[in-house]
Amino acid sequence: MSDFSEELKGPVTDDEVETSVLTGAGMHFPWLQTYVETVAIGGKRKKDFAQTTSACLSFVQEALLKHQWQQAAEYMYSYFQTLEDSDSYKRQAAPEIIWKLGSEILFYHPKSNVETFNTFADRMKNIGVMNYLKISLQHALYLLHHGMLEDAKRNLSEAETWRHGENTSSRGILINLIQAYKGLLQYYTWSKKKMELSKLDKDDYAYNAVAQDVFNHSWKTSANISALIKIPGVWDPFVKSYVEILYQIVPSHKLMLEFHTLLRKSEKEEHHKLGLEVLFGVLDFAGCTKNITAWKYLAKYLKKTLMGNHLAWVQDEWNSRKNWWPSFHFSYFWAKSDWKEDTALACEKAFVAGLLLGKGCRYFRYILKQDHQILGKKIKRMKRSVKKYSIVNPRLSY
Amino acid sequence: MDFPHSLRPALFMTGPLGLSDIPDLSFMCSWQHALTLPETQPQNSENGALHVTKDLLWEPATPGPLPMLPSLIGESLIPPGSFHTAPPILPAAPTPETFLSLLSLCSLRALGCLQSPRASGCTPVPSPALSVTSSSDPWDPGLTARDLLFRGGYRYRRRPRVVLDVTEQISRFLWDHGDVAFAPLGKLMLENFKLEGAGSRTKKTTVVSVKKLLQDLGGHQPWGCPWAYLSNRQRRFSILGGPILGTSVASHLAELLHEELVLRWEQLLLDEACTGGALAWVPGRTPQFGQLVYPAGGALDRLHFQEVVLSPGDSPQFLGNPGRIQLQGPVRQVVTCTVQGETLLAVRSDYHCAVWKFGKQWQPSLLQAMQVEKGATGISLSPHLPGELAICSRSGAVCLWSPEDGLQQVYKDPETLVFRDSSSWRWADFTAHPRVLTVGDRTGVKMVDTQGPPGCGLLLFRVGAEASCQKGERVLLTQYLGHSSSECLPPTLHLVCTQFSLYLVDERLPLVPMLKWNHGLPSPLLLARLLPPPRPGCVQPLLLGGQGGQLQLLHLAGEGASVPRLAGPPQSLPSRTDSLPAFPLLEPKIQWRLQERLKAPTIGLAAVVPPLPSAPTPGLVLFQLSAAGDVFYQQLRPQADSDHRRDSGPRSDTESDCRAPTASWTSQDTAGCSQWLKALLKVPLAPPVWTAPTFTHRQLLGSIELRREEEEGQRLDVLRKAMAQGRLLLQRDLGSLPAAEPPPAPESGPEDKLSERLGEAWAGRGAAWWERQQGRTSGPGRQPRRPKRRTQLSSTFSLSGHMDPSEDTSPPHSPEWPPADALPQPPMTPPSQELTPDACAQGVPAERRQMLHDYMAKLPPQRGTPGCATTPPSSQASSVWTTRSQQHTPILSGSQRPRKKPRMGF
Repeated sequence: MSDFSEELKGPVTDDEVETSVLTGAGMHFPWLQTYVETVAIGGKRKKDFAQTTSACLSFVQEALLKHQWQQAAEYMYSYFQTLEDSDSYKRQAAPEIIWKLGSEILFYHPKSNVETFNTFADRMKNIGVMNYLKISLQHALYLLHHGMLEDAKRNLSEAETWRHGENTSSRGILINLIQAYKGLLQYYTWSKKKMELSKLDKDDYAYNAVAQDVFNHSWKTSANISALIKIPGVWDPFVKSYVEILYQIVPSHKLMLEFHTLLRKSEKEEHHKLGLEVLFGVLDFAGCTKNITAWKYLAKYLKKTLMGNHLAWVQDEWNSRKNWWPSFHFSYFWAKSDWKEDTALACEKAFVAGLLLGKGCRYFRYILKQDHQILGKKIKRMKRSVKKYSIVNPRLSY
Repeated sequence: MDFPHSLRPALFMTGPLGLSDIPDLSFMCSWQHALTLPETQPQNSENGALHVTKDLLWEPATPGPLPMLPSLIGESLIPPGSFHTAPPILPAAPTPETFLSLLSLCSLRALGCLQSPRASGCTPVPSPALSVTSSSDPWDPGLTARDLLFRGGYRYRRRPRVVLDVTEQISRFLWDHGDVAFAPLGKLMLENFKLEGAGSRTKKTTVVSVKKLLQDLGGHQPWGCPWAYLSNRQRRFSILGGPILGTSVASHLAELLHEELVLRWEQLLLDEACTGGALAWVPGRTPQFGQLVYPAGGALDRLHFQEVVLSPGDSPQFLGNPGRIQLQGPVRQVVTCTVQGETLLAVRSDYHCAVWKFGKQWQPSLLQAMQVEKGATGISLSPHLPGELAICSRSGAVCLWSPEDGLQQVYKDPETLVFRDSSSWRWADFTAHPRVLTVGDRTGVKMVDTQGPPGCGLLLFRVGAEASCQKGERVLLTQYLGHSSSECLPPTLHLVCTQFSLYLVDERLPLVPMLKWNHGLPSPLLLARLLPPPRPGCVQPLLLGGQGGQLQLLHLAGEGASVPRLAGPPQSLPSRTDSLPAFPLLEPKIQWRLQERLKAPTIGLAAVVPPLPSAPTPGLVLFQLSAAGDVFYQQLRPQADSDHRRDSGPRSDTESDCRAPTASWTSQDTAGCSQWLKALLKVPLAPPVWTAPTFTHRQLLGSIELRREEEEGQRLDVLRKAMAQGRLLLQRDLGSLPAAEPPPAPESGPEDKLSERLGEAWAGRGAAWWERQQGRTSGPGRQPRRPKRRTQLSSTFSLSGHMDPSEDTSPPHSPEWPPADALPQPPMTPPSQELTPDACAQGVPAERRQMLHDYMAKLPPQRGTPGCATTPPSSQASSVWTTRSQQHTPILSGSQRPRKKPRMGF
């Protein structure tokens, strides 16, 4: 019994964190506190002030989740009292909570405007200096959203040069984001100026001044960005994505079809095999089942591959799929619904089904049975090709 | 499948994931998702119509969910499901109690003080024919932290400490279940007792006279403190029984009890059994009809297929009686999926899984049922291939299961994925690739290729720095969001929920969440449903359900090649307790009962967008199932000013500000609630748990002497004695009153109405009484009360058991108890059955027979294992018996031995 109670006591990061009573298992139960509170077990009782503020906080949160902005604002007004808490931990945590909830209220409140938001943000930046950068960044994003680029830029510059004793070193990586946004804004103004410049005549008297301005901006931008790209990081994970790497990671990417066409044009035999692999890979994915281009490519390429006596390639691909592709792609249900929705897609699929499963396949037979004036010829041709090239022995057909 | 060409402003570092220092951007507010660059704004305002439809948000149409009611249309419209008998029953689950069977002295059932009705395999009470089926069982909220935790203790500790209250529990157990705790001991110690009264002296000092002992105990039994002062004899007794009492009973009991307490506490902290939800919506032939599939009954072991009608402009209603399938275990999860026009239903119980298929007539037919020895924790249906399932067990194995091809083990690892965690919870779901599954546990989620070599795979999510997880954060639920093939979200998204946050992960870019949102639900988030968009191209609502009944609605947008984002601020939906004002004013006791029922945990969620052509605006209906078996629904409608809300530029219009919540109760709603409540109150309360019988031994043993005298003189004697002692003369002292003539029940005259009404109201039937009073003609309503009184009395007589041998064989009825077969316990063997006067009459001396008889009759009914009552006693017990009978009752015939189980204890 004793060892268990020892376990349950658990390590707690801080005595004052009410909601973090951990169990020995290491999992954290945010709702444990309410259980414990229903039982008047031993321990320091919460002070009245703490009880009131936590109740107030839950009122604000509830009002926010119910989109009652006016009510939330009123509760929020009372919640500012928590900044006076004698409990140092709470006093420190309060500004961030107030910013988070307050900015959300001001963002959605019907009577709020940019000025109110600015005032609030400026006040909050200086209460509890730890949040200066976070609030600055979000403030700048807010201004950006409202089209106030100059204000946003000024805000970011202030944040960039912000120093506060020991806290300066703990700015961490957040400062990178601030610099990145600043660079982006400078890039934006630069490109706008450049547009202006291109409209101006070279002989215009203003030209030189503007050109100088553009130059200044480009210099500032590059200074910002070049400082930034020295820090290793994935600034845009898709800038550097190479197609072949992509195939390994994301075989369902739409670029894969382009990749296939490139491979098809290649001289090398192994590329041709990879081209088939890529097509099969694309069609494995649930999001690509109705991609007519992929089916068209596959139908054509399968025929070409089989004509080129590369039955082994097809069988390589088909072996891992033959137990699930029939029900995934070529079921009777799909035959009916594909024909109803997109006859062209149904034809392409039927051809592939015929080649892979033989002419006895249900999908193929269903499409064959349909009478269609325009596609009649195509279907006939398809039937002939299937007879000739299907990889299945006709007597053992599906 | 386009890949997002730009990501949200965030920073991802190179190098091994989780090792580098990533800024936690979760400080960003929810409105960051609403931010757009100024360039895109004018474009949006140009085609405003498109804007409005894109950001269609929902809001509740009533202030709270309402209970589902049976349809008033009548059953002639559509015949109720006619498959009541069809599907076979799942095999019985292996009981977890087996580990206790080695100790006959206590079975898990005996730990009744810890037993919650949901967990026990109690037989459901047959429901009245025409009541609301959902409320046919009494609801007991089960154990709370109050029952488990140690109150009191260290006063000046700085933080509250959680300590399980084992001492309290074991003392309560010993008080309440003394028969279980001590009866086996009694058997063991039988040879050291002499049942005869005083008079003869024993030869050995170790043999104690029961009479004296009980006399001593009797003065303090049952509710006084038995240890107030100890007599010599008691001390002797305790020395005698000490070694056995001290070691075996206490330690075994404490051990088992402690184990049980730990289990219950863990369950209270996180009841993961119903992860995923046990409520499913099966669409019907027409959009107006559908079926809800959910478990019902006190043990949640009856699967209901309830037809529901969604009439336009009206609330959804149950249609006819549900089709029922009785299973032999509680249903934990119900999943349904329609693939290629084929609707399948998968059900998970604790140790079984089963899959049904809906036929042409929308009747389910069982495809296959399977036993999972280690316990199943999750089941999911493939959204790609009809009839394919993924199941996972506590052993760490994940299998692909199709009724045609059987099981294929895909993954097996008893260890958790990322770091060591003690939980054996596992989860499995599908991905955008039909051959790739996700395997999840508390520490992360992995993608496993079923065709690849075993064990290989790619981590999709892990509790760690990549997702900026908190300390102690664990995965509670993962779900593949690609089921609904809408263009709204890419089919590669997965939802991962923890206690604090939810994450959207794209399987093409594993480990780094696309979206993180701190949901802040105050209870475990075990239910999530991605709902279909109200109109094509709209934002897609994601519904989250906490076990405590809280519901949160998020709107996800991420069309085409953009990153998924939250459209609009998250929103909380009313929970069942918010519906309390819709119910009529009630007596405090019923009010409390109703409140408890509404507070029952949510164990299932389902949502429907009824595609009704006649409705002007789309509607959304949410169904929720509570652990009490109630189905509630909540209707949602599109927000009137959802376009205003998003237009967050400098605003001048203020006419829409401070919009009070427009939803309010209609008279129809409150009428529905009253109707539902009436059906709920018809159900009797749960039978009280076993209570120790109160008996004193002094009078009992004292009457032994009296037996010798003549029958006539007996009563006089008792009377005289009682008067001399100045105590109340009890009915049982007189004993031999003719049982055939029960005293008539007191006629409740008109002057007695008040007390009758009060009594009824106290029992929770005040409203029913009032109705009866108003509609009464000649008082047939009073009729049922009389026989009840009679049975009470006659059973009282049979307990003393002097007169009627036939009465003796009936089980003793306590007034409040329903018939024994309705109780959760195995059929009890009444003590008087084992030692009827007939059996005794053959050779036992009269004095001894009577004493034994009386003594046995006063014992609480034996509730040990059924085998103990019916089969011959174990070798030990029989040897005890033999020695005893050799010593004291040599005349007993051998044929009766097996029936006369020696019983001892108090």
